[in-house]
Order: sequence, then structure tokens, then C-alpha cells
Amino acid sequence: MGLADELLEDAHFLADKGITDQRQTLMRRSISTAYYAAFHLFIDDFVEHWEFPDQRARLGRMFGHGKMCTGFTPKDKKNLTTVEQALQDVITAFSQLQKDRERADYDSGWRLVDTDVRNAIRLAEDVFANWRRIKDEDIARHHLLSMFGARSD
Amino acid sequence: MYLPSAVTKQAEIEAAIARVQQSIGPDVVRIRYEIGEDWSGQWAIFFRIVLTDEAARHRLRDVAPKVVWGLARQLDFPGMGVFPYHNFRSVSEQAVLQEPAWA
Repeated sequence: MGLADELLEDAHFLADKGITDQRQTLMRRSISTAYYAAFHLFIDDFVEHWEFPDQRARLGRMFGHGKMCTGFTPKDKKNLTTVEQALQDVITAFSQLQKDRERADYDSGWRLVDTDVRNAIRLAEDVFANWRRIKDEDIARHHLLSMFGARSD
Repeated sequence: MYLPSAVTKQAEIEAAIARVQQSIGPDVVRIRYEIGEDWSGQWAIFFRIVLTDEAARHRLRDVAPKVVWGLARQLDFPGMGVFPYHNFRSVSEQAVLQEPAWA
């Protein structure tokens, strides 16, 4: 099992424990871990194609959180293909996770409820499922490069 | 100061919300929204969606995407210059927290 899948398992564990115990810190860690699970899903997918295993961790550290939600513009916004829709769903869900993770880590005034945690887990699971379905498609490969900071033009 | 066009389209946004709420049915109790900058400084529209306790607890996986996709179909977020964010909570959770922005 890779790091991304382990993190998703941890997010589940933290969510269950946090909701059962009604412990805000565990709920926050669950959301943060769900985000990092998705983050590492993309990184692992990118660096596995790098020929030199000993350099993959270093390559992965070049990913910037801010760039990872940009870089995709569908050809026809009103008529998305199935793959474009799945990629758009990945970007939307990942962006939401990124925002929620930012709040979970830094907004001490945020009073989390069970639904916040369940929704973060749902989003991470959706990112995993959709990304694994489309990751070999051209637009997904291009988007992965954009996440890495490559210009699309 | 730059303001996204979403700021001038509140009537359109509210009409879209009403349509989405109607199409999904009683699982969605109400939808509130706010336009502002997100954590990265980009303009965003933050939707706050209150669900029935039943929907939030047992059907979130089914209901939440319907709300997200419904709003995306009704509103051209890139054209409005905003990125959409959606947060959900149940009626009971809001009853405890009593946050005016969700009321």
C-alpha cells in the first residue's frame, strides 16, 4: 500500500475517533490528513515515472500546494466530456479539501461538526476514485504537469 | 480595487440556488452564500448548505454532489470570476452552533 492510501486510511481512523469522542483536534487532523492523502496521490503518480528512484522524494517536494488547483480549461465549458467532467470533479474536490485543510490547520475559531469531517473523507475518496479512473488520459497527464508548475501553452 | 462580476449577479445567484434547492427536494433545508477572497487571495463564492439530519448523516455522499453539480450547472463560476467552495452541516449541528451566517 502506498503512502497516499495509508494516509486515506489514517484519515478514516481519525474521523471515526474524532466523531465518536467529539474531539476537535482529531477532527482537524482527519481533514488535514484527507487532504494530504489526495496531495500524495498526485505526487506519487507523478514521481513514479521518474527513472531514478532515489530522486523521487526530492522531485515530490517540488510540488507547490497553490499550483495544484489551476491549469485546466475545458474546450467547451457547457459540454464537458466524461473525462473532462471527472477531471473537473477532481479539481473541485481537491480545492475544497485544500481550503478545509487550511482552516483545520490554522483557523482556531472554526468549530467543526461531524458533517465537516464526513464531507472531507467523501471528497478525498472521490478524488482517489476519479483520478484513478482518468489518470492515464491525456488531459489528466497534462493537468498533472500543470500541478507541477508547467505552463499549458 | 478588483471585484468579481459575481458581486453584481446576486439576483442570478439567488435564483439559481432556489432552482437547485427545488430540484433536489427536502434534503436541502437552505443554502446561504458569501463572496470573498479565499485563503490564497483568490476570489471565491462560499456556499453554506444546511441539510436535514437524515441527509447529512446517511446520504451525504448522494446529496452533496447533487448540490455541487447543480450549482455548477446553473452558474458560470469562471465567468463570474470566482471559485466555488461548499460546506455542509445538519439542522441539528446548526442548532447547536447557532452561527448567523448559516441561519
